[in-house]
Amino acid sequence: MTVREDMQTVLAAENVSKCFRIQRNRPHTLREMINQRLTGRYNSCSTLWALRDVSFLVRQGRVLGIIGHNGAGKSTLLRLLCGLGRPTKGRIHCAGNVGSLLELGSGFHLDMTGRENLLTGGILSGLTRRQVKAMEEKIIAFAELEEFIDQPVRTYSSGMYLRLAFSTAIHFKPDYLIIDEVLAVGDARFQQKCLERLKAFRAAGKSLILASHDLEQVRLLCDEVLVLEEGQVVIQGEPERAISCYHDLMRQRTEKRAEKLYGKGGGLSIATERGSRLGTQEAKISAVHLYSSSGESTDSICSGDSLTIELEYSILKPVNDMAVILGIYNETNIKCFETAIVSTNAIVGKIGEHGSLTCSLPGLPLLPGNYFVNVGLYPVKWDYVYDYHWQMHPLYILGSKEMFSGISGVVLLQPAWSISTIKNLVGMPVDTKETNVPAD
Amino acid sequence: MSVSTTSRAGINSLTYYFDLIIHLITRDFALRYKGSAIGILWSLMLPLSQLLVLVFLFGKVVPLRIDAYPAFVFSALLPWVWFSTCLNSASSLFIGNRDLVRRPNFPPFILIIVNTLSNLLSYILFLPILIFILVLYGHYMTPYLLIFPLLILIQSILIIGLSLMVATMNVFYRDIQQIVTVAVMLLFYLAPVFYRSEIIGEKYHLLYTLNPIAVLIQSYRAIFFYGSPPHWGSLMLSAVLCVTVFAIGFFLYNRQLADVFDRL
Repeated sequence: MTVREDMQTVLAAENVSKCFRIQRNRPHTLREMINQRLTGRYNSCSTLWALRDVSFLVRQGRVLGIIGHNGAGKSTLLRLLCGLGRPTKGRIHCAGNVGSLLELGSGFHLDMTGRENLLTGGILSGLTRRQVKAMEEKIIAFAELEEFIDQPVRTYSSGMYLRLAFSTAIHFKPDYLIIDEVLAVGDARFQQKCLERLKAFRAAGKSLILASHDLEQVRLLCDEVLVLEEGQVVIQGEPERAISCYHDLMRQRTEKRAEKLYGKGGGLSIATERGSRLGTQEAKISAVHLYSSSGESTDSICSGDSLTIELEYSILKPVNDMAVILGIYNETNIKCFETAIVSTNAIVGKIGEHGSLTCSLPGLPLLPGNYFVNVGLYPVKWDYVYDYHWQMHPLYILGSKEMFSGISGVVLLQPAWSISTIKNLVGMPVDTKETNVPAD
Repeated sequence: MSVSTTSRAGINSLTYYFDLIIHLITRDFALRYKGSAIGILWSLMLPLSQLLVLVFLFGKVVPLRIDAYPAFVFSALLPWVWFSTCLNSASSLFIGNRDLVRRPNFPPFILIIVNTLSNLLSYILFLPILIFILVLYGHYMTPYLLIFPLLILIQSILIIGLSLMVATMNVFYRDIQQIVTVAVMLLFYLAPVFYRSEIIGEKYHLLYTLNPIAVLIQSYRAIFFYGSPPHWGSLMLSAVLCVTVFAIGFFLYNRQLADVFDRL
């Protein structure tokens, strides 16, 4: 396959493969190297193909998303696109300047002030000193760091640091921008600002390449999504199609794993009374108990009451760490709330062979209705599923009809209305009279 | 290269690289002395203290009987300090600036140029002191000083070439750092910094004509201290050697660059 660099294409990867040599006893010093050469053991290295035959095109003004689980080759691909390192096979064509948000704040020095670092960042992004100076105030305003810009960066909070790094990176105008997990910057409002900025960037006819774990963001931002699996492109297409394919891959990996463990057709799906259950059962949730605030086991609580959820689990060796998610979904499968533990060992403590995990939710602000508690156990790499319970554990939120008349939705809020009457419309001072209606 | 990048639109490449290098040099300088009370004066300390030690040692303890010995040593010590500081810091240039090396559009050899020029700047800042000492001992400036830029050029080529080798290879074998430290130390005694090469005798003559840094140091001394022209024959020979070293260094760097990115 040949890819022509026509007017529209800003970036093209053509059968790109990247191979890393993994030497088990790689010589770190000359002595080790000479030793290994002499004894003839130096050939004991294996190769890892991080990317295999990856081809794609990015057209002007388009946003390409790259998804894939950890170790699928995303970072390797992004680095090659930035011109860092050379593909083992294949070619990458790019027309124009690349900007990257791979390692935010690289080149920053903690002892320098924000302003000095901004200049460093700008010049490293490919602008002359004068061009950076012309943009300086705009960047500082975007980062909302006017007060602190002349302080050394080491006094910044991590949020401030990232804001400065991001604003610096995004204000220089490359022809295409490569972003890795970027939108974890600052608070929600600043993230929104960044998203706006990326949209404007795209509207100006620039292209974006975005690797992310956040499927929602990928769905929102991208025109096209590429799914990588073990260094190969599984699919490149519409976000919806690619994301569902990505979910299928998770299922397939779980199936493969279950087959390996239990032989064909074993272990994977277990018939349940209600809902469905999927996983290799290397770690399993044997029971889920819900407790009300008074401590009794129940499946229904009043709106606004607290809820404690207990997961009884048991694990098979050699599993010794896992990731846990717990979510509350409503009947139409809208996620109302979800919490995840990326590693139980690191966050809540060492796990035993059998045990229980308890999650307390003080004051569940949900409106009355039928909900489900969905829980899952995953390997810490999130590459397949140990056990996932979908719609198996119902939760009923109760409330009196009168109290909630005229209210709908998911979240419990206390509305307080007030009214003010404008008496005179022709420029006279306005006299208002507020009528507060207490909610209770 | 498999990645072909068209030239930066609207940016004069030369202006850009000029700005980049100047900025990194200023940053390097600012960082070196940030937070210290006497700041840049510290950069005077190392060569001056070295000068004092040598003057005391070979003027008083083991007298070498050289007229105007401080001026004699200092005229050669300054280029030596430039050379040795550059080489000693070269080994950590790539491994210590991982975040810069891994930036797109940033050619890592810029770091080597910055390191060389930033240390050259310290050298230049010392020139008034050197001239002061020379005048103090009754050595006046001659037109041969006009050769100074040529010597700087030849030495820069040598330093950049050697630094390219050292910085690149140190990414793969950390021994290089140690080897360089030892080699630079030995070279200090092999280069006629604090003695006259003539006292060594004919037997070792070759060692001094084929050693570019020795030839350079003698040339600096010739133009500053003796007010005479350098030995043109050996100078041209070392210029050729320096360019060869640079070519080998650049070849090595170019060949290993992709692996440097993978290894860092």
